[in-house]
Amino acid sequence: MEIVATVQDKVTVLAVTGRVDTSTAGDLEETISRTIDGGHRRLLLDFSGVTYISSGGLRVLLATAKKLGGADDRYALCCLSHEVHKVMKLAGFTSILSIYASPEEALAAW
Amino acid sequence: MPPGNSSELLISRTWQPLPGTTDTWIFPEIRKIDVISSNSYLVRTPEYLLLIDPGGIPSQAEMLASAITRCRQQVDLPLVVVLTHAHVDHFTGMQSCPVLTDPGHAILAAHTTGADAVEQADPDLTQGDVLGRAFTPMPVGIRLFCGDPAEGDTAARTIRLPQGIEGLLIRDRFIPEPGISIDRESLVFSGTHVEVYHTPGHSPDSICIRIGRTLFIGDLLFASNPGVAGQHGWSQDALINSLESMLAVLRTGSVDIVCSGHGRAIPASAACPMLERVLSDARVLTGIAELTRQRAEDTARFAEDCMEEINELFTILAGRLYYVSHVMGELGETETAAHAGTLIDAGELDGLLESFREFADAHHAQEKQASILLALKAGQVIGKLERSFMKDELRKIIDQSLVTRAERLLTSYSLMLRGFTPPQERESCPLCPVVEAIIIGLTGPSCSDDDILSSTDDTEAFCRMLLARIGTRPLLEDVNVSFERDGDPSVLIDRDLFSDLLTYIIEDLVGTGAARVDLSVTADATRTVLTITGRGMDAAGKKAGPVRGFYIRLCERAGGTLTGEAIPDGRRYTITVGPAG
Repeated sequence: MEIVATVQDKVTVLAVTGRVDTSTAGDLEETISRTIDGGHRRLLLDFSGVTYISSGGLRVLLATAKKLGGADDRYALCCLSHEVHKVMKLAGFTSILSIYASPEEALAAW
Repeated sequence: MPPGNSSELLISRTWQPLPGTTDTWIFPEIRKIDVISSNSYLVRTPEYLLLIDPGGIPSQAEMLASAITRCRQQVDLPLVVVLTHAHVDHFTGMQSCPVLTDPGHAILAAHTTGADAVEQADPDLTQGDVLGRAFTPMPVGIRLFCGDPAEGDTAARTIRLPQGIEGLLIRDRFIPEPGISIDRESLVFSGTHVEVYHTPGHSPDSICIRIGRTLFIGDLLFASNPGVAGQHGWSQDALINSLESMLAVLRTGSVDIVCSGHGRAIPASAACPMLERVLSDARVLTGIAELTRQRAEDTARFAEDCMEEINELFTILAGRLYYVSHVMGELGETETAAHAGTLIDAGELDGLLESFREFADAHHAQEKQASILLALKAGQVIGKLERSFMKDELRKIIDQSLVTRAERLLTSYSLMLRGFTPPQERESCPLCPVVEAIIIGLTGPSCSDDDILSSTDDTEAFCRMLLARIGTRPLLEDVNVSFERDGDPSVLIDRDLFSDLLTYIIEDLVGTGAARVDLSVTADATRTVLTITGRGMDAAGKKAGPVRGFYIRLCERAGGTLTGEAIPDGRRYTITVGPAG
């Protein structure tokens, strides 16, 4: 798994590539925590390169939602593959996380 | 396994006295359990070295050869290699190892049926075909249990080991307790007495060996396991007899340590209940199919299909619990939130699923066809999931449909691996009510608004209702659904499997972004066709890959055929079923 961080319009975009599974979910969590601890509380996870997410990965997504629950915080995901979208939809995550088709759509909504 | 710690009964790769003997030592190689290679036990007596099962991999044989060479630097003893049975994982490693095969210093011994299999490179009896492992024929110098004891072949035979050492093979019946009579052969040298018992069942040539107070039992502990029971040469009746016989031997109190062909050495007191369980499993294994190469390949394909679905279903189940826990936490129900979070150990789940993926990737990287190894690995993972699957607790919180399908998947695979055909109960039934029941089940919440309102006076009941309401998210609640029908044709289907299939398909369409699902049933004299069309998908949903093999095979088991196609704004599945009769 690779994570590339960029900042666009005061939003930190973490572009994730590969599998978010038992061996990589911890890395994703750590990167997100570092980002939040650094004061960047507007976060967009670009999952266009994610082919698989495990339950450990789902836990990280939900834990992040908890951390970024403040009124001025922003947190969303974009560009889910159909496999990842299916798991998130059926697990109920699409009703509590903001999910967009593209980064532009997400940034426009903020 | 490298040298073990001293708390083990036997320490791997270390010489130690063999219990119940005065001048016999043992050097075990105790491996982590797999189907590639067995354990090996090198025994040093005053007259000869006895190697029980050299294992299935050359590096293991080389390691044992080094131990033998070091031993011979003190006293030059001949080597007898004896097979508890002639399955490839127990002996093929020795083929390229001169120390173990040099006729001037080593001799191979096996039950006479196993000896035939080794000398003729029999691909069936040795499991070489099922495991995809060929080997070259090898000569067997000592044939155990030759002739028929009923014909009077019970006299002592002289056997000659390399370097001119002579001993006796004495055959008789051993009666450890009334009603139990075991075919026994004893290897007698001047100072050492080794007893060999014929214990068929796992294979016709299986033997157990007792030296001092240690009993070597080959694969007896695994003989009722999925993927093992039903192998060529396996016999339920013989296995039951052999298990009863070895239990009787253990009850005599003459054994302290039991050494299995795979896994750690165990005290005799612990071996008894283990063998009792194997016996109890063996008694119900009536009517299983023989594990041929074809069945092994079919099972391996089913394993990969199942594991793909299990991976997705269990990730969804775990995710749903996180979701429930999160929402209940937000509502201040911290205790309930914490309880929901404990129903699936996500770390263990991910570890198991990951271990199968890594195994399957490595397996396919060797350009092998899916083989029984893959099926057995899936069986191991599925067995662990079955043991930790808290289905009754989960049903109180999460959609019945998800939990039931997960349970059916696990059971179907376990049955298939065991050699039973997963159940199919085809019956004639009108199709439209089956489809309607699925749609209704996926549309409404598990508990109504009235249920919730009427529970508000009871805090505990309200919490339960709330939990179920949150955990069971109706899949079709925000999806437009239509169902068109042309009459109400009757079809011959397995209703449960058909319902599972339809649910999987609707989940697949909605999960990949369909905003609308249209179902239609048409029928003529020869067939009934159900189409399920998902529309309004985005680009990612539309480009979902070909129809999963699992769905196709599930449809076949349910009584129909399944195809899939992309359409301009989504995807369509078509199920075709024959008429009811």
